[in-house]
Amino acid sequence: MTDRSKKSHTGSKNETPPEVRFVRVPSIAERKLGTDYVAPMRLDPRVLDQMQTTIKGLEARYGDALREQLGTLLTLVEPACGGDTEARGRLYAIVHDMRGLAGTFGHPMVGRFANSLCGYIENAGARAWQDDTVFHFHLDAIREALESPGADPAITLETLNALQKLIAASTSARRHQG
Amino acid sequence: MTPVPTKADAEFFRKLKVLVVEDSAEMRRLLAALLESMGVKQIVEAHDGLKGLDAFVEHRPDIVITDGAMQPMDGYEMTRSMRAAGAAEGANPDVPILMISGHIGRESIVHARDQGVTDYLPKPLSASVLYEAIVAAVSKPIHFVETPGYRGPSPTRRLATRSAGDPAA
Repeated sequence: MTDRSKKSHTGSKNETPPEVRFVRVPSIAERKLGTDYVAPMRLDPRVLDQMQTTIKGLEARYGDALREQLGTLLTLVEPACGGDTEARGRLYAIVHDMRGLAGTFGHPMVGRFANSLCGYIENAGARAWQDDTVFHFHLDAIREALESPGADPAITLETLNALQKLIAASTSARRHQG
Repeated sequence: MTPVPTKADAEFFRKLKVLVVEDSAEMRRLLAALLESMGVKQIVEAHDGLKGLDAFVEHRPDIVITDGAMQPMDGYEMTRSMRAAGAAEGANPDVPILMISGHIGRESIVHARDQGVTDYLPKPLSASVLYEAIVAAVSKPIHFVETPGYRGPSPTRRLATRSAGDPAA
């Protein structure tokens, strides 16, 4: 380990600057393998292939989980928009989960629709729940994307644009209501 | 990609201990499966930042992979606490911390960097992004700054913005 210490210069006689040390420690590979390690570590295409096979293997299982999550979301919209904070939290958590995972498992459009709904909830805050229209349209789009994963990308992008316009209209309407 | 990894490279992952901190069961399952595909045998899982901190002290992982948004403690606060932990407490503040997040805006990335995150990976996660990030984190010497209450990557360094690429890649 190398250690270079220095005191930062603040220009003030009364201040005691915090000590800053610069430290270099060996890589984890060096520490684990010792002299067997020859830098740089190589990326193994066989490992990457295996990882991609693993994702493929989990896709079917995730598809089932997605359908289950969608069913739960449909039951949560009404209580969430009726003021149930627990339902709001659960709804957001599920959509957030979809945003992060659907793309990895071959459902990129589901991920994008979920991302759009997440963004709406995050930006509008409590006011997002005043109107359930945005939620229903997003969930319809997610269901459509799940049922037709090979749909024309142009159509799904058009749907995404329509959802963005719906969000903009909803936001504008709330603004005018004060 | 260099096509010929050494035997030591393959052996390395069997010796690696990884802590996965993630509140989504599906994401934890995915990460554990991908790590196993890499040959990692020692995987510790925690459901949120608080449990992640406990596991960090108890298991002394070689690398941490964490989500950003979690309750009650998120990945940012957990990272800050790990970087502030002293070796005397049984922890290893030098550990590389990879954050996987759906928030890919500059503000989130800068915030992650300021807390001491080593690398920031966007969701949706791809196999290649995860593999390359882990190899980069474990194979390079670690340069840290140490100030009272912080030991970790320099908060002034540039943390690259990766785009969420083709998930199949």
